[in-house]
Amino acid sequence: MSLRGLRLTGTTLAAVGLLLMLTVYGLSFFWVPTEVAQGVIQRIFYVHVPAAWVAFMAFGLVALTSAMYLWLRDERLDRAALSAAEGGMVFATVVITTGPLWARVAWGTYWTWEPRLTLTLLLWFVYLGYFLVRGSAENPERGKRFAAVVGIVGALDIPLIHLSVLWFRSLHPKPVVAKPEGPTLPAPMLITLLLGLLAFTLVFLGLFLLRYTLQTLRDAADARDRRATV
Amino acid sequence: MSEYLGQVRAIVWKDLILEFRTRERVAAMGAFAVLAAVLFNYAIDRTAVRPQTIASGLIWMTIVFGGLLGIGRTFHLEHEDGALQGVLMTSAPKDAIFLGKTLANFLLLYLVAIIVVAVFTLFFGLDLGPRLDLLAAVIALGALGFVALGTLFSAVSSGTRMGETLLPILVFPLLLPMVVYGTQATGRILAARPAAEVTANLRMLTAFALVAMATGAGLFRYVVEE
Repeated sequence: MSLRGLRLTGTTLAAVGLLLMLTVYGLSFFWVPTEVAQGVIQRIFYVHVPAAWVAFMAFGLVALTSAMYLWLRDERLDRAALSAAEGGMVFATVVITTGPLWARVAWGTYWTWEPRLTLTLLLWFVYLGYFLVRGSAENPERGKRFAAVVGIVGALDIPLIHLSVLWFRSLHPKPVVAKPEGPTLPAPMLITLLLGLLAFTLVFLGLFLLRYTLQTLRDAADARDRRATV
Repeated sequence: MSEYLGQVRAIVWKDLILEFRTRERVAAMGAFAVLAAVLFNYAIDRTAVRPQTIASGLIWMTIVFGGLLGIGRTFHLEHEDGALQGVLMTSAPKDAIFLGKTLANFLLLYLVAIIVVAVFTLFFGLDLGPRLDLLAAVIALGALGFVALGTLFSAVSSGTRMGETLLPILVFPLLLPMVVYGTQATGRILAARPAAEVTANLRMLTAFALVAMATGAGLFRYVVEE
């Protein structure tokens, strides 16, 4: 697909996603019934869970495109990995800000060592390392390789981290752990959640394509600059 | 196969001789361990907490912080005088070089871990008891995974402007499994609980070490290629 086509697709996806996101906000405020045990705060669920889904999906995408970059050395794969990592960082930030807000009301404390919360926090720092390595490498080509390695090792270690935080929690059971999800979700809640997942995924894909386009233009401009100075 | 092992052994031997002649890294790590134990001792209110109950966590954190100090300089000397290029140009496969470096680091770190445990035993009045073999296995497995990740990312960070400052950011998020299983197992051993209570931890530490070694050996070539 041409660059122009990518930009158009990205803009369309992001726009549709944002419109859908507004719809989800509307639904979650006015249509979905209030959860009995937790009250109004449970409505943050419709932002928190889709953002988490996207953050983890993006991380998978980073690992996949990084591995393929190391194998095939196609610049496009590296651009895709970078774009996915930036998108993932944004949504991971959404997760670790909405999580404590919800936890403050539902569990009575901003921070608990709830497994998924811990995992997302660590994931956020793996992303941070990804960008730091990329930015501080002695030359750009090396930065791409280093970043790819960070992305892959992070993804491989994630299952072990997840297991160990689950393990840790089993030692220290908390008094109340409200679990909003489950198969017994009422239909309006389930529909809103699914729409939320769709909206966040579309926004992510749109931003991903736009970021990818931007990086392609940037690389092209850099190459032009280098030719002009030589 | 025997050629491969010979190459690994050559790297291990070279790094150990280098360390034996300079004594920089072990000295720094060992001094760090002893001094950290002294500071920890005064950071704890002994009337509020029994030092023995939190010793396992402190032991592991000292190994991690002190170890990173030395592991971060794995490639430092070789980087400075360009000897790394020479090593990389030999016919040894990159994974053999990685495994050699990791094993050499492991031996150094294990030495430091022995110092750490000895110092904490002395300062905190721990009773290592009859389970010393188990403790040795727990620390060996945890250290192996740690060293594998540390060596890989030490190669990464030494190729950046940020250098060793970057290392904790890259390594700490990935160390969680080691800290969780290692600390729990060590705590149980120090509390003289039955050996069966740590077998699951040993299994998870083995898994962590294997994953770390395998990913490191697989990805090292992409870090050092030029």
